[in-house]
Formats: sequence, C-alpha cells, structure tokens
Amino acid sequence: MTAHRHDQDVPTGLRERVMTASRQARPAGLAVPEITPDSPMEAFSSAADAFYDMLITLSAEDWHRPALRDLDVQGLVGHLVGVERDVQRCIAGDEAIGSANHVESTQPVALAQEGRAPATTTAAWREAVDRTLAMASEADLDANVAIHGVALRLRDLLVARTFELWTHENDIRVVAGLAPSVPEPSTLRPMTELATALLPFGAAFTDLHEPISVHLVLTGAGGGTWDVAVGEPSPEPAELGIVTDVVGFCRLFANRISPADLEVLVTGDPGHATSVLTAAAALALD
Amino acid sequence: MEPTDALLAARLAAGDDHALAEAFDHLAPTVYGAALRVLGEGSAAQDVVQDVFVELWSHPDRFDPAAGTLGTYLNLLARHRAVDLLRSELRRLARQARHHRLTLDGHDPSPGDAVAAADTADAVRAAVSLLPDDQRQAVELAYFQGLSYREVALATGIPEGTAKSRLRLALAKLETVLDRQLLESS
Repeated sequence: MTAHRHDQDVPTGLRERVMTASRQARPAGLAVPEITPDSPMEAFSSAADAFYDMLITLSAEDWHRPALRDLDVQGLVGHLVGVERDVQRCIAGDEAIGSANHVESTQPVALAQEGRAPATTTAAWREAVDRTLAMASEADLDANVAIHGVALRLRDLLVARTFELWTHENDIRVVAGLAPSVPEPSTLRPMTELATALLPFGAAFTDLHEPISVHLVLTGAGGGTWDVAVGEPSPEPAELGIVTDVVGFCRLFANRISPADLEVLVTGDPGHATSVLTAAAALALD
Repeated sequence: MEPTDALLAARLAAGDDHALAEAFDHLAPTVYGAALRVLGEGSAAQDVVQDVFVELWSHPDRFDPAAGTLGTYLNLLARHRAVDLLRSELRRLARQARHHRLTLDGHDPSPGDAVAAADTADAVRAAVSLLPDDQRQAVELAYFQGLSYREVALATGIPEGTAKSRLRLALAKLETVLDRQLLESS
C-alpha cells in the first residue's frame, strides 16, 4: 500500500465514522464467508470418517511403518482404540480415568494389535468410535468430565478428540507418504474455538504470567479473529497481534510444528509472540 | 510473513478490524481524493469513502489480489460510487427541472422557486449541450424523457450495447463538465 499523488487529507472524524459503520455492517471477529460450525458430535464423527477413509487406503507395509513413539501404524490405531475405551469409561462416570496417563493407560491395547490382521484392528477401532458416539449422543454434553489429567465439558472433549484423530491421521499420512489432510472449514471452526479458549490455560501451564492481550487472527476458511487475555489479570496488559494461517495454528496446537515453523505476522513484542505460541502447543496430548 | 494486499484481504475475511483500520490509514487519502475529483464536494466524497470501506469490510472476497492492488481496487470502487452518486444527482436535478417546468406551465410559482428552477435547468442543459450530438441525444432520452437503455436503443436505431456505452461516455464527460455549483446548489 503506497501513497498516491492525488491523496487528500482525510477530514477529522471520518476514520471513526467509517470504523463504526463497518462494525455495524459486520461485527469484528466474524469471519466471512460465514460457515455453520459442526456440532461437537458432527466434528468428531467427521474426523473419524476421515481417519477411516485414510486407514482403508493403507498397504500391508504401511501398517508396520514406525508412526509415533515406539508404535507402528497398527499400534497407533490400537492406541486410539484404547483412548476410545477410556473416553467411554469417562462418559460412564468412572472417576479413576480422570487421573490415568494418556499413554500408559492405552499402551496395553496398542501393543495387543501386534500380529493381528490390519482389518481386525480397523474394525476394532471403528467399533470403539461408534460406541463412543452412541454413548455421547445419550449424555449431557455440558457435563464436566475428567480424563487423562484434563477436566473439561464433554462437548469440548469431543472437539479435543477431533483434534486427536486429525493429528494422528496426519501422523500416519506422513509415514505412508500420503498428502496431509485438512478438516472441512465447518470442522475447523469448533477446533479453533477450543484452541483459542484453552490459550490462557496453556499460558498458565507454561508459567507465562505476564499480562498480554492477544489479538489472534487465523486466516483461511474456518478461521476468525479472537481477543484473548493471557497471564495475570491487568488493566494495562501488553498488546500483541498475531496473524497466522488457521491450519498451521491447529498443527501448532496439536504440537506437530513448533512456533519457529509457523509463518506469522507479529505486532508487538516478538518474545511475547513466541511465549504465547509455545503456550498454544503446551496442552497437546499424544 | 510479509504484509501484502493478499494477507490484508485474508485478515479482513477473518474479521480482523485492525486490518480495516490499517487499510483506512494507508488508503483513505487516495480514496477520498478519487471521490473528490469526481464530486468536487467534501460531504458527498466522505459518504463515498464510507461506502467504499464498508463494502471492503463486508465483502473482502470481492477484492482479487491477482487482479491488481488494493489501492487500485478501492480507487475504482470510489470512482464508481461517485459516478453513481453523480448520476443519481443528475436524475434528481432533471426531475426537478421537469417539475418546475410543469409548475411554471400550470401555476404561478413563487419568484424564488422560479429562479431556482431556471438555474437548475440551465446548469443541466448547459452541461448536456456540450456533449457530442449522439451522446447528448442518449442523455436527453434517458434522463429527461425517462427512457431505459433498451428504449433509447430502439428510439435511436442503435444496438443496446451502443446506447449503454454512449450513456457511460456521456456521464463520464458530464462529471468533469458539470459545475461544482450544480451540486452545491442542490
């Protein structure tokens, strides 16, 4: 954007008038074109379908490629079977699952897949997901639940699971040499809502106490604009603007890329930006 | 990430009002200048600036960074809005002139009304009379007799597209010919 030779001084008050009229025409923060976000059930179901569609394209060799930690692809799918079973215990009110470890609790099911036919593992996982969906559809989505050291509403847990399925789908895509996938904008929207809502908790988790008012702009379909306060409450927080791509931010939130890997436009202190982006990735569970 | 017009448009689409403020701060002087050049009058030009930025904010997807810069897009938008405003004003003045002519035919207007009507009609007529014959004829038919593009084409025996282009050319010339007084007096 450059100055033009026919520039004219803008009359006093016109800027405020234009900003007010614009915000009346379309509220700030509202992305266009508007999309109808998936419900938590729809988002989770959509992520499960995408995961299944990817699984059935894998070759026999792909199932045995190293995928995550000490798990091959089949073990990783087994891990997800274990997670579904823990979620079902959580929905059923088993309080012990609240303090269970995400990896330790699911590792026996993950390791039990060794030697099984991939189709058997796929069927077990699909059955487990369908059971989770059936139980969630009967449950109060606003009920508080606790699982693997995290307490949240059931509706948020389903969106967190959407993140998990999408993330592991892409873990497998990487090792199988498949192109990465991106959720539909209607699915991304609840994911970004959850990620931004959890940002203050990520800040607390990473000992980011300095009060910062974050103007976070996630560009692309499914994105939007959020103003989030992190750190200690303060009447005069530091102002920070972060602009980045919505999918990149979701990959960061899933701890699949680092803040340094994310292409961002920052206004304010770059150190604050790094701290906030580090906080965004701090709550991810593998 | 480099701040580009494409990124600005993406931020606007994401609902980032800071991006709108940035666009205004950088481009409003140019947009205001473009509107002023057409309208010659500050208040109407401010309305155009408001329309242009509200349009950008409401429909950022209509700006195509591949087709040109945001500044060029907003200037074109400002110019179109200003011409629309001018055209609307021209129609209003033509209606006013007709009304006064009819009033003068049937009644005794007040001396003030008679002078105002005569001034308005004279200003419009003077501006139109400077147009080339084919454009003048199209303007008279469209704005003084209220004919549509199609009817102008039929009446003059020319294709509809030619009628449209003649009117566009005529309006473009009228923008520069019409005295500022014409708008200010309204």
